[in-house]
Order: sequence, then structure tokens, then C-alpha cells
Amino acid sequence: MALIPFAFRPGKSALHLLDARLKFFLICLVSTSMLSASFVPCLIYSLLLILFFNLARIKVFQLLISMKFFLLLLGFIFLARCFSTPGDTLISAYGISISRLGVTTGFLVAFKFLLVMMTGLLFSGTTRPAQVKGAVQWFLRPIPFLPEKRVAVMISLSLAFMPIILKQNQKVADAQAARCGNLEKNPVKKIIRMVLPLLKKIFLCADNIILAMESRCYTEDRTDPEFQPSGKEPSFLLGSLILAFVFIVL
Amino acid sequence: MQPKTADHKSDQTPDKAPGNIIDIQAVSYTYPDGFQGIKDITLSVCKKEFILLAGKNGSGKTTLLRHLNGLVLPDSGQILVNGKKINDHLIATRKTVGMVFQDADAQIVGDTVFDEVAFGLENLKFERALIIKKVTQVLEELNLYDLKDRNPRALSGGEKRKLAIAGVLVMDPDIIVFDEPFSNLDYPGAIGVLSTIVKLNRTGHTIIIATHDIETVISHASRIIIMADGKIQQDGDPKILMPMLESYGIREPCSSKLGFGIQPWH
Repeated sequence: MALIPFAFRPGKSALHLLDARLKFFLICLVSTSMLSASFVPCLIYSLLLILFFNLARIKVFQLLISMKFFLLLLGFIFLARCFSTPGDTLISAYGISISRLGVTTGFLVAFKFLLVMMTGLLFSGTTRPAQVKGAVQWFLRPIPFLPEKRVAVMISLSLAFMPIILKQNQKVADAQAARCGNLEKNPVKKIIRMVLPLLKKIFLCADNIILAMESRCYTEDRTDPEFQPSGKEPSFLLGSLILAFVFIVL
Repeated sequence: MQPKTADHKSDQTPDKAPGNIIDIQAVSYTYPDGFQGIKDITLSVCKKEFILLAGKNGSGKTTLLRHLNGLVLPDSGQILVNGKKINDHLIATRKTVGMVFQDADAQIVGDTVFDEVAFGLENLKFERALIIKKVTQVLEELNLYDLKDRNPRALSGGEKRKLAIAGVLVMDPDIIVFDEPFSNLDYPGAIGVLSTIVKLNRTGHTIIIATHDIETVISHASRIIIMADGKIQQDGDPKILMPMLESYGIREPCSSKLGFGIQPWH
């Protein structure tokens, strides 16, 4: 089975045992404060992230390989910044110039995006999906007129359904490649050939999942997940507040 | 003596024969596209029976099984589970009749093996402590406890099928229905699933297995029901019905063809 970057990886690290609600709050805090951060604090944070990934026994290199399309997107963001930011010219050819400021800001923006993404992956990799659902439900509960249980179930089902979509996508792609479908050069035809059978398979899968859920008495009003604080929550909260302060001030 | 009107939410036993856990009375069902899935089915199932529902593809086996769990409700006729009409007691029916689907992947909704097994109990609003206790017990019973934190989609075919069984077993059903439980399984996987099913029957569960390939399980069945064109064609002792299997498009087991009667598969 292909490595799914955001899949939960079981473990007993401090991050695995941390209360999911606090983890949820911390990734929001760190990710938003990172927006105004300069390069050095980001670099320090990236080292911290690598340390946490190691503690959680998640291989960072494998993770990066599995998200190569996201890295490609970061490359585009970097190039767009390079070409569109005015400033001292670094390179100029055929009327197109790249500014020094464009390169530095482009790199910083792409780097921050990567760090935010990796923070999210560290969260999803160390938090059971049922706990993610529970945390979302817990945060949405005070908001009036919002069916928090339904929203939480939709989020958890989306997370659960993603690997099935990827698997079905692979099956359709393989079936088409086996009959030389990959030789088709027209991208529109390629997409149509891919999307129609894929949608059919996905809807069929969704039907089957609904039946399976119904057969086991599915209801929105279910037993809520239980949160068990590990005792390390105050230390993580303090550390994250210091980190957020460093991001904003430095 | 059919009741003329449905007595909603009543716990009366309209037409339950003593010892019967399921009573199906003149049930027919037509799909929205006009295809008649089952036609005028009448049958009873006793406690602790091991029934093989055999028939070629499209004979109506899966449609009939889905009626037993209340996933499909009959157009005409009625089904009683423990003497209660399933239309009026859907939750009770689904607790009593556990269903293991043909495609184990399609049955998986949890993100870890533990969560997958806990799904049914969470729906029934069990206390968390009791959920943990019951799930642990079932996982240990089916030798799946070491996999409790694994992603269920990454398990082998046999493990997935056993997980699907665990998912229904944890809800304490009296009856477990299996739709093609050995399809797409390798030999060790099929043996593992078969021994689990046999063990469940020995511990008092009523087993109903729908399959077109009966060789794997025929030696354990106490009764075989042959379906074709949405109807029950034959119902009786597997030893007696064995010679007529192939006339309904069901492959006769090798041992029987060679004149050795019904032999255990492994």
C-alpha cells in the first residue's frame, strides 16, 4: 500500500500521548504565528520538527518523497515570487529579471509553507483519527446552531475515504495503462477517461460504506472519544507559547 | 396465520414457530430498476444452525442476506427475527443479525483495527470503558490484538475478513451472515476464516453463508438452501442435495464427484 502522508502512525511518543485538543490548538498557534517569522526562527523550528518526527518514529525523508507534488507546488510558489518581486536585479535575461529580494522572500514563503505542512503531518501522524474527530467536535461545541457531531463525522469520513479514493485511482490508472491508455497525449481526453470510471467506482464504494455503516447501527449520536491528558500538556503549551513569541518578535 | 396489520413497535410474536430465530414469510423484493431480486421466499432458521445459501451469481443470495439485516426491506411479505418484525425493530435486528460483507475493504470505516471493531458499540452508545473491554476481548479471541493500532486497510485479505467478523462479533449477535466470505482469499486466509466461522457456530451462533463455491465449507453445513432466479429451489440436507448441485450452476465438491462423499476441505 502506498504511503499516505497524513496517515496515523501508531506509537507511544510524548506527542502520541498528548491530549488531541491541545495538539490541535498548538498547531493553530504555531502555524499562524509563523506567518510573521523571519528565516532564523523558522530554521530553528525546522530542527525542532525533525527532532519531533524522530521521536515519533516517522521518517521525514520518506514523508517528503510521498509529498513530491506538494514540493513541486512549493517550487512554483518560489519561482512566482522570484519573478514578481521588485528589487535589486540578481539575474536578467531576455527581458526577464529575478530580484535578490524575490529569491529570499520566495524561499522564505516556500519554506514556511513546508513547515506548516510538516506541522500538520506531525499532528495527523501522531493523533488517532477518532481523536481528531473528537477534538474538532470539542472545539465546535460552543458555537451555536452548528451540528458539531455531524461536522466531526464528515471530517473523519473524509479522512477515512481519502485512501480509498487513492486506491481506486491507482486501480483505474493501472487498468488503463494495461491497455496502452497512457499513450493518449490529449490531456482533456486523458482526464475524461480517468475521471468518469473513477467517479463511478468512488460512488459505488460510498454506497458500500453506507451499507456497512448502517448494518452496524450507525447514528450521529455516538459514544464520544475520551481524552486522556498525559501530564506533559503544560510543558508543551509553555514551549509553544515561547516559540510563537520568538516567531512574532524576532 | 399471518397478522393482517403491522403492530408497530410491539414485541408480540406474530407467527414465530418455537425454536425459530428467523422466519421469512412470502418475501419478495424488486430493485428500483425493475429487476426482481427475490420472489416469494418463505423459510425458517433455527438457533445454532449452520446454513449454506448456494446459487450462481445473480440468484438472489445477497439480496436475501441484506433483508436479514434490515438493509433492504421487503416489498411484500414479512421477516421476523426473534419473533419481531424487522421493519419495526431495525436496531434490534441489526444487533441480533451481524453481517459480514463480501468486500471486506468496503466494510472498513475505522482508521485503526481497534476503532474499526469499536464502531458498532460506539453507535449503540456504550460507555467508553465497556467498549475498551469488549473490543479487547474480541480482538484477543480472534488473535488480532497485536494488530490493534494498525491501519485496517494495510492488513492481509484474511486479516481484513477476520476484522470484519470482529466488527460484528463485538455487538454480540445471535446470527452472523456471511456474503462470500472466502472470495479473494489465499489458502491460509481461507483456512483462518473458516476455522473462525466454525468456532463461532460451536459457541452457539447461528451461521448463514452465501456462496457460489461451496467446497470450502460444505462439510460443516447442517443445511443447504439452493437459490436460482430469486427463488428457493431446494432446501435440505447437504448429503441428499449434493447430486443435483450442478443442475443449478453450483460446482459439486471434488470429493463428492470422486465418490468419497462430503470431506473436510483441509
